[in-house]
Amino acid sequence: MKRTLRWNLALLAVLVSLATLILLPFWFVLTGSIKEPAEIIGREPTMFPQSFTLQHYAKLISASDYPVYMMNSMIVATASTVITLLLAIPAGYAFFRMSFAGRETLYRAILLAYAFPSIVILIPLFGIFAKLGLLDSRLALVLVNVAFALPFAIWMLRSFFASIPIEIEEAARLDGGAPLTVLRRIMIPLVAPGIAAVAVFTFITSWTEYVFASVMILSDAKRPMPVGFSGIIGQYQIDWGLLLAGASLSLLPVVILFAFVGRWFVAGLTEGAVK
Amino acid sequence: MKIPKHILPFAFIGPAMLFLAAMLLWPLAQAIILSLQSVRSVGTTGDWVGLSNYREVLIDPVFWGSAWLSLIWVLANAVLQTLLALVAALALNQSFPGVRIARTWIVLTWIVPTVVVVMIWRWLFSTSGGIVNPLLMLSGVTDAPVGFFANPTIAFATLVFINSWRWFPFITLMMLAGLTRIPRDLYEAASIDGAGPWKRFSRITWPLLAPTLGVLLVIGTLLSFNVFDIIWLLTAGGPADSTRTLPVLIYETAFKSYRMSEAAAVAVLATVFLMGFALLATRWLARPPEAR
Repeated sequence: MKRTLRWNLALLAVLVSLATLILLPFWFVLTGSIKEPAEIIGREPTMFPQSFTLQHYAKLISASDYPVYMMNSMIVATASTVITLLLAIPAGYAFFRMSFAGRETLYRAILLAYAFPSIVILIPLFGIFAKLGLLDSRLALVLVNVAFALPFAIWMLRSFFASIPIEIEEAARLDGGAPLTVLRRIMIPLVAPGIAAVAVFTFITSWTEYVFASVMILSDAKRPMPVGFSGIIGQYQIDWGLLLAGASLSLLPVVILFAFVGRWFVAGLTEGAVK
Repeated sequence: MKIPKHILPFAFIGPAMLFLAAMLLWPLAQAIILSLQSVRSVGTTGDWVGLSNYREVLIDPVFWGSAWLSLIWVLANAVLQTLLALVAALALNQSFPGVRIARTWIVLTWIVPTVVVVMIWRWLFSTSGGIVNPLLMLSGVTDAPVGFFANPTIAFATLVFINSWRWFPFITLMMLAGLTRIPRDLYEAASIDGAGPWKRFSRITWPLLAPTLGVLLVIGTLLSFNVFDIIWLLTAGGPADSTRTLPVLIYETAFKSYRMSEAAAVAVLATVFLMGFALLATRWLARPPEAR
């Protein structure tokens, strides 16, 4: 379809505004993290850094527990992702490739779980975990993250399972494949992009989770990054350079992850969603 | 070992369902029990008090004030997010160099931890230094720094903006799904018939996208209602309780004033409202288009 010059200009204007809205805040944060303190709080904000220093990063890594927080977050997010996949893949396979009594009802119930106000279970879960001795453990965070990611994860797999022709599966069955073998050998490789999408989704929601971690984790050594970082915000007199460096570093793992598998995540959202 | 055929699906969904039941349904049942007792802090026991917590909550103007704020919060966010997402999705649905990269990286605001989102905007909107205030003052819009988190109305609006900033790209991607499903030939045919961009939008895009928009408004509503961390970390419900939505009230009641049972009652009421809304909305959306 031909586009007129005016149409192209309008599109360009929208795209530039979008890019500004999304990227400019990050630009100021990243460049701010390498500016000298005096420049950060200067009266006239500088678009491009006039000074260069790594002192904020040095201080962050040596004077705070930031590296520990990052490690904790990596452990929790990775474990949450693995467990979510182990639960979501078989469930997705059953929901979208098999027929059984009560399938629709159970599927609806799962979607409803997505509408669940998380704060409601914060109070009782705190009590339950206290009784089980799970408070102040990374396992508690993993359990919570899986519970919140799982409904959406199953939902996301829908289109990926649905796109596989039924003949492939039947052929595998006729060759004598047991259901678990069919799932492992045939289905999982075919839905690999969906699995990547779910993995990214779970990793990111776990990486960013704050509320439950702030209530359930009591000792500094077990804090994940969001809770630890908010502690750093409160504990020093506001040191913007330090905070900007912390914010920049926290972006690193998810941005790297997204650079590799972000494409699949986007495909999972755009192709599977809204049905 | 051979599992009978009719049990097989349940063997596959079983672990996930049991996990969700243990982590969501069981605590929900506990919340209901808690709301019928008089427990003040975790670990202590309380007496059974029947529905008196609910009675107390329902006559409390603080609860209604908070419920009202939640309603405005949800509406404002749903509208702003959906509008921003609509514009973004329409633009990203065009073909231009770099469209794939743009479609992937638009979710940058969503993959960032909320704590970092909070820090970023607290700094950008700061009254000492920062970015926005110096720019406003340099361009002569104001003489003194604007207290973006100090005035009740401005603070509420600022939070709506920050929350929508974080979530609209996520909605954009789901909206793109609806857009890419509209057949290209429809637009081709319309252009040949001499329809301009506006006509193509109002006669083709809009009617075909409407069901998707409906679903996304519902999802946006549910997502926005649950937002707690952004509000808590930026304003903690203030100034003058102007941003104390229901999740903030629940958290405050439970973990700051140590009235667990009352907090549980508020939480159960909120769940009933939200679930009721979700059920009604999905039923409404499931109806055939003509019946709407």
